[in-house]
Amino acid sequence: MYDLIVIGAGPAGMAAARRAADLGLTVLILDEQSRSGGQIYRDVERAALLRGEILGKDYTDGIDLARGLDHPGITHAASASVWQIEDGYRVYYTQNGAGKTAAAKRLLIATGALERPMPIPGWTLPGVMTAGAAQILLKQSGMVAERAVLAGAGPLLYLVAAQMVKAGAPPLALVETQTGGDFRRALKYLPGALRGWPYLMKGKDMLAALRRAGVPRHTGATGLRVEGGDRAEALVFNAGGRQHKIEARTVLLHHGVVPHIQAARSIGIPHRWNAQQQCFAPEHDETGRTAIDTVFIAGDGAGIGGAKAAAIAGRISALSIAQDLERITAADCRRESRPLQASLNRELAVRPFLDTAYPPYKEALSPDDATIVCRCEEVTAGDIRRYAGMGCLGPNQAKAFGRSGMGPCQGRYCGLTVTALLAAANGKTPDETGYYRIRPPIKPVTLGELAATAQRKGK
Amino acid sequence: MESDYAIIGGGVVGLSIAWGLLKRGRSVTVLDGDDGSFRASRGNFGLVWVQSKGMNQPRYARWSQESAAAWADHAAELGDATGHDMGLRQDGGLTLFFSEDEMEKTVSDYETLKAKLDGNYPYEILGGNALRREEPHIGPSVIGAILHHQDGHTNPLRLLQSLAQDVRRLGGTVLTGKQITGVEKTDLFRLTCADGTEIRAAKTVLSAGLGAIDLGPKMGFKAPIRPQRGQVLITEKMPKIINRPSLIARQVDEGGIQIGATNEEVDFNDDVTQDGIAHLAADAVNAYPILGKVNLIRSWGALRILSPDGLPIYQESAAMPGAFLVTCHSGVTLSAAHARFLPDWLEGNANAPDLEVFSEARFS
Repeated sequence: MYDLIVIGAGPAGMAAARRAADLGLTVLILDEQSRSGGQIYRDVERAALLRGEILGKDYTDGIDLARGLDHPGITHAASASVWQIEDGYRVYYTQNGAGKTAAAKRLLIATGALERPMPIPGWTLPGVMTAGAAQILLKQSGMVAERAVLAGAGPLLYLVAAQMVKAGAPPLALVETQTGGDFRRALKYLPGALRGWPYLMKGKDMLAALRRAGVPRHTGATGLRVEGGDRAEALVFNAGGRQHKIEARTVLLHHGVVPHIQAARSIGIPHRWNAQQQCFAPEHDETGRTAIDTVFIAGDGAGIGGAKAAAIAGRISALSIAQDLERITAADCRRESRPLQASLNRELAVRPFLDTAYPPYKEALSPDDATIVCRCEEVTAGDIRRYAGMGCLGPNQAKAFGRSGMGPCQGRYCGLTVTALLAAANGKTPDETGYYRIRPPIKPVTLGELAATAQRKGK
Repeated sequence: MESDYAIIGGGVVGLSIAWGLLKRGRSVTVLDGDDGSFRASRGNFGLVWVQSKGMNQPRYARWSQESAAAWADHAAELGDATGHDMGLRQDGGLTLFFSEDEMEKTVSDYETLKAKLDGNYPYEILGGNALRREEPHIGPSVIGAILHHQDGHTNPLRLLQSLAQDVRRLGGTVLTGKQITGVEKTDLFRLTCADGTEIRAAKTVLSAGLGAIDLGPKMGFKAPIRPQRGQVLITEKMPKIINRPSLIARQVDEGGIQIGATNEEVDFNDDVTQDGIAHLAADAVNAYPILGKVNLIRSWGALRILSPDGLPIYQESAAMPGAFLVTCHSGVTLSAAHARFLPDWLEGNANAPDLEVFSEARFS
């Protein structure tokens, strides 16, 4: 029995594991990747040496966190995918083809974010992927998409574009969906955002680098669609009062990230719709504690705040957990948490500005009828609207009718879209509409691996 | 709003009855729950099954047989109307055996039942080799099987969807997100819902699954039913590896292998447990070793609706004549009977099926 199991070795998980171990807790950190770092610091200990210059300081900052896992109190189980969490808390996972289990007194879910799916016409064609996926290829294997067009909205789009420029393969164009109106609406948050001024400066620098590299930018783009027969051949869109067509065999889409909530949902932690971030996020207190007393959530999985905020939140949760387990006093916990909370607030200060200035692309939140929303089962937006007409008030009924969310991705990529479509069709809020009921396995597992964990018993 | 019938419950049972009544020209309003309601209709195993049913009550075996025999027409008619393929296959189903004793005992029970059914119980015994010719992926621990030719399976979600679609096409009114708070009868039934909706109808059918536990007594029924949890698994889509369904596993028309099911008395809890799904996986791999390498995609728990003796209940209320309780565990198997034969019983026609043994009189 460990004191703490952490799911996810990104910034929140790594920081929490180290802080907890320093306070004398025994920690098991489980992560899907073969090396620590999560998505943001993917493979950082290795790739920072090889490609640190291209990936930038924000990336190489992750090295210290990754090295922090080297501690006698921490067991890092790499290549471990968690398929089920049960009361108590017991976690079931697969590692190297074998089903395994571990238990702990406290659980920290640090499963981070995933890119908000961007269902536009043609998004399922080969050659279309997310900007984040392209960035992971760059981090992990140094591969850069040549002659790609980037489309969508948000800071990650600029970061990926800037990294592509540095890698010598500038994108053909940046097709941005945010409008001048979005920026004007965001201005009221600017005073608050100035507390997070380094982020704004970085954004300015990245845009300047793109300008120098001669990467064309289109803003306020609408009507985005990928054209092509067997694969992507062009991105078509309207901007500046006319239609554009950019020939490209690689289209990288991105319009923000959302909390990866499958693990938290699977154990029934209540979630609420966050209107500003246009996604569901788990309910938790300022230390990350959820409605289930012994389960904490930290990092982007608790609500999008970025890597630095995630690491701080991880430390705050670790302190609270250490206090639960009587390794530090309440007074010490408060003393150390207070400045962390202040810097977390500073990190989060820029979010309202960013969220408002770079909202998700409207047409991808409510795609036209012919656009596929569930890739696994090829269910279109029109299908979902039709199910609403047949009495489906929520995604679980729609799933029974049309199989959306029944595929291998477990609804990770269609869940938000399906909720939004049903909410709009039924005239309800996302909270009233609800979300898929997430059941094990939260990651695929073979029947053999699962069977191996069956306790013998007399029938 | 006023109709000939108000149907409480929009699952497979309620919609099958609504569909049958609409086909006979009756006006129908169906009141259904919400996205979070317990719904056996979207959690079940999809069998259209005869064998082992009614071992102690041959009328139940016959009722299941009558429904299974009507299923082909039922599926065809729904399919023609909606364009959906019900995925119905009725070329027999298997009970797998892991010991000779177990198999002998079951054969002797089937023989007893067969005699009571005037010989209409077409099954055959498959030894290990014969079984492996039929099912090449059966594992060595299976010693044989009973193949019953009246068994089959369907796609239960497509059945649900088709009924939901066709009831509307036929002019039925389906109101969703409704919770019934009161049922009164003067000359008409007056049903009130939590959101203030009021429905009037000449007759009322209570087919709300576990919802009948609360509503039944208010309408003069005993409704002695309880939930029983079944956990179920489904794998990634596979090429054909299982030909005929069994209670352990079946390959659905979309390609996934569905594995069932636990029987657990855990009240109103439809969670999935690690212990439950690990044992289901172990049993399935034991029967079909090839499944060991197959990915599990989803699991779920759903609640069966069970009466004390496991048989359906068909009862008209003495306190509120014109109110009928219809509840059963096998809503999919009985869908054809509910759509095609039960309306005669509700209407009090001369050719109504004899459902006397399924009345509440059997519960003291």
